[in-house]
Parts: sequence; C-alpha cells; structure tokens
Amino acid sequence: MTDLTMHLTTDEIELWAQGLLPASRAIHLADCSLCRVEADRERKVILELVQLPKFAPSAGFADRVMAQVKVPTASRDWQV
Amino acid sequence: MVRDRALAEDLAQETFIKVLNGIKSYRPEFKFSSWIFKIANNAAIDHLRRKSIDTLSLDGAPGAETPEQMRATSLQLGDRAESPLDEVASRELGTAIERAIARLRPEYRSCILLRHVEGYSYEEIAETLDLPLGTVKTYIHRARNELRGYLEDRRD
Repeated sequence: MTDLTMHLTTDEIELWAQGLLPASRAIHLADCSLCRVEADRERKVILELVQLPKFAPSAGFADRVMAQVKVPTASRDWQV
Repeated sequence: MVRDRALAEDLAQETFIKVLNGIKSYRPEFKFSSWIFKIANNAAIDHLRRKSIDTLSLDGAPGAETPEQMRATSLQLGDRAESPLDEVASRELGTAIERAIARLRPEYRSCILLRHVEGYSYEEIAETLDLPLGTVKTYIHRARNELRGYLEDRRD
C-alpha cells in the first residue's frame, strides 16, 4: 500500500499530466502544495508540446523521392 | 527538430531516399517506423552538428585584436545562450515553445519530441535512438526541466 503522504515521482507527475495517474495516487495532490505546483508546471510544458503544429509534406514530395530511388529491374540490376 | 519547414522537408526527402534505397538492410525484428525515425533522426542531428561547426567561431569577433577582446567576444563550447541577433530572429520565427526546443541539445530534442509529440513510449524511444532506457528517461526529464526554465524565464 502506498503512503498517501509520499511525494509524487517524476514518472507519476508525467502520468498525472496525461490523465493516467491512478486516483489512489492523484489524491496526494489535494493535500500537497509542493507536488501540485510541480505537477502544474509539468503539465503546462507537456500541453505546449502536444499542441505543436504538424505539417504534411508539400505537393510532389513523393515524386521527388521516387526520382532518386533505385528501382530493381527484371535482370536484378539496379537502375536510377 | 530543425525549426525550418523547407529544411525539414529536405531532410525527410533524404530520409525516404535512404530508406527505399537501403530497404535490404532493414531487419524485421525492429519496428519499421522506428527504423525510419532512426534514419530521420540521424539526418537531423548530422545537419545540426554541421550547422553548429559552420557557425561556431572560437576566436571571437572579427574586430577583436587583443587577447582580452578575443576572450570577451569568443564563443565557449557548450555556450547555448542566444545571441541578441539570434534572439531577434527567434522572436520572429515561432512560438515560445518552439524557440525553447531549439535551445535544447539535439539528443534531448529528439527524445522529447518522440515522447510528447509523436507519443512514443520510453522503450520505443530507447529502441529507436539506440539508447539505454535510463538515459532516455534522464534526457526527457532534463529536457522538460530546461523547457520549463526557458518558458518561465520568458514569462517573468
């Protein structure tokens, strides 16, 4: 059984920030301002990272790649 | 990783060409996506190292003549602070979190992006980057601490 007064570990704080920490451990945050401050700071950074924009390649990307791929021929030679 | 969309696309193109031309060296015991990420990560880190060597002057400002002037204006290895010019450029080139990520060591950057942007587990990151699991955890924790520091400095 985990001691409710035991501070959260870094791994547990990461789990909490992702909403994955079991309630039995998360309850510690209600009573511990140290862990709460630490967890809030951690969550802010993780949220910013998760929200980073993702980009798709521009048109023609696959064609530009395939133009430089050596395709094997029936004779098992490689040609550009 | 490189904070430049066109450059990122060039590196992605280089990665897929290597992947498709080197498909025979793929070992099926590893995840295919991990293999691609490994090649992409190596391409990005090689680029960042080349860039760092290209732009690093150890001799100080061009106008520095005395040893004192050279010492005062030289860059120190490991000095990751932004110059005023970098800072002006950075302000125009992305959000605070993007600028903070750019200040991380490339190894930390790879780990933190795989973990929190791509959603990889610690074990998958260790496999992808050929690093011990403990090292991955350490890098991610240090990277998050550094990011917090950079972001909080900016808010102060």
